[in-house]
Amino acid sequence: MSDIDPHEKFQNLPAAIREKVDSALSDAKIGLKLMVGLALADREETAKHAVTTAGRVGAKSGEVSELTAIMPLKADGAARLRKFFSLVGGNQAGAGQVGTLHNMRFVFLDNDTKLLFATAYDGEWDPYIDDFATKIPEFMDYLFSNVEGWPGITSPEVKDFIVAYQLPAEGWFVAHPDLTVTEANRLKRQDAAVQNFLTALN
Amino acid sequence: MSVFRRLRKPPTLELDDIQATLLRARPEPYYGTHAILEITDAAAGRELLRRLAPQVPSAARWDDPRPSWLALALSYRGLVALGLPEASLASFPANFRAGMAARSERLRDTGPNAPRNWEYPFGTSRVHIAVSIYADSQNDWRAEMAAYEQQLRGLAGVQLLSHQDFGADGFNVFGYRDGFSQPVVEGSGAETLPGDGRPIKAGEFVLGYDSESGRPLPVPSPDVLGRNGTYVVFRKYHSHVAAFNKYLRYNAGSEQDRELLAAKLVGRWRSGAPLALAPERDEPALGEDPSRINDFDYADDPRGLKTPLGSHIRRMNPRATKLEVLSDVNIRRIIRRGTSYGEPLPPTVLRDDRKERGLDFIALGARAIDNVEFLQSEWVNSGNFMGLGKEKDPMISLQDKGSYFTVPGSPPRRVQGIQSFNTLQGGEYFFMPSLSAIRWLSEQS
Repeated sequence: MSDIDPHEKFQNLPAAIREKVDSALSDAKIGLKLMVGLALADREETAKHAVTTAGRVGAKSGEVSELTAIMPLKADGAARLRKFFSLVGGNQAGAGQVGTLHNMRFVFLDNDTKLLFATAYDGEWDPYIDDFATKIPEFMDYLFSNVEGWPGITSPEVKDFIVAYQLPAEGWFVAHPDLTVTEANRLKRQDAAVQNFLTALN
Repeated sequence: MSVFRRLRKPPTLELDDIQATLLRARPEPYYGTHAILEITDAAAGRELLRRLAPQVPSAARWDDPRPSWLALALSYRGLVALGLPEASLASFPANFRAGMAARSERLRDTGPNAPRNWEYPFGTSRVHIAVSIYADSQNDWRAEMAAYEQQLRGLAGVQLLSHQDFGADGFNVFGYRDGFSQPVVEGSGAETLPGDGRPIKAGEFVLGYDSESGRPLPVPSPDVLGRNGTYVVFRKYHSHVAAFNKYLRYNAGSEQDRELLAAKLVGRWRSGAPLALAPERDEPALGEDPSRINDFDYADDPRGLKTPLGSHIRRMNPRATKLEVLSDVNIRRIIRRGTSYGEPLPPTVLRDDRKERGLDFIALGARAIDNVEFLQSEWVNSGNFMGLGKEKDPMISLQDKGSYFTVPGSPPRRVQGIQSFNTLQGGEYFFMPSLSAIRWLSEQS
């Protein structure tokens, strides 16, 4: 396989794909063109990882969406947040109770004047903002009141506030687009049962 | 069964300004009509509101029997057609302003449920006013209708676009008792029946009062327009009862097994008796007893062995079920004023007679629009919140090919071949103004 000429392999791809790759990646070497061309030609894989939109802003692959926001911090915002993160050792395990968060990160930018907040989560983000506002308002407000202009989690403006700082991802890949946090939990429980069964069997 | 609660405490809400329909329970049996009107001339629209205002009763003494009443609500297009000032129009929430058809993606109204397949006039920009008449007898229904039609007469700038009669004896076209589970609105003075849970903050249901978040939800301006009003979500469904009957017949051998499967799908026997209290066989007396029909919270049934996690009533009101996703069940409650139309089809009939029958889903509340959008995407057309993956609501979802319903047990039973048993025919988002707002709207120029 590997000694077949990549140019020849590329020529074997459908013409429509070759044209697309050639025009978008005119300056790329043939190895990259071939890699991208082969990926585009794999319809099943392409369909599985198709990127759609996660409500108003953000990209979604299958069930999993991304949210990236860069927000201006108040003067003592970074210091307060650092205290909080060091108290919990950067550990946000409590966030597990939300049940839709795959991961999230907080990064200080530009000399502690801005907060980068990035997360991967299931579904669309705004249906559950109302639930955060009544279930974990203190936590949400403690975290985000360090952001300049934070209207408060119970404010009717909160969704628009977040959207205003959200930067949609141009590229978004999820290894298992159909695997929600809840489904992963279920598979882990099932696997534990299977492992116990196998142990007991022997 | 009487669906009336008693007024037990002095109400603290401004009941004499709130429309009766918010708190007044549907009678049994009930008769009535939903009409959709278009305003082609703003002055005529205001004149109609002026004429109809005396026919819209308030929620004061909502527990006193009343032979008939009228409810009135306006779509965003209706408010525009009335010539409401821009500042006021802009104070309404974005999803209300967009209208139901424009929100089809969020509502998961696709395929056969998509707006392009809706009945006229739904999905057009001509749906402006919804008038509903509820009555407890045919005669009172006719009298109320005659009075309303009298007001409509001679108003060239208002067109009647559709007129749909409804009526039933408290059982829907599938044969299930319905309409009896409602949240208790704090400040309404309503008694709490066993299983109701705590009263829910009034601001969840009426604009201008504190909601569950501790503050009022946004109120449209000016205050006289928004306060004491609420939102209404109207969705008309056609019910495929023969397909439902066939599904039961195909998947259960005896009548007893069919009725058990029918109960597992809904979470209640057709009598209204909940599986939570009658897991093995129907106990019709439970369905007749308002103090017992809702006296359960699933706390003793985390795996859904009695009431399946995916059953219709457990999805729509999970009560104490531990959900997989952080959710506040107290902000997802809606006041349900749904009505059935057409003749029920008995369980023995397996052939579709092509007659019109179904359900007008009607939800009221300050969050009604947000909540129906939430319910449609999170609790109806997904199973993720209950740990059920892509499994959907067995009664009101849009099912994909190859869908199934899981009945938990040892072993669990996966009942294949479930279809969409209800197809959306159309709907709209409305604002139900207070009595003083109706007067205010009629006086604008």
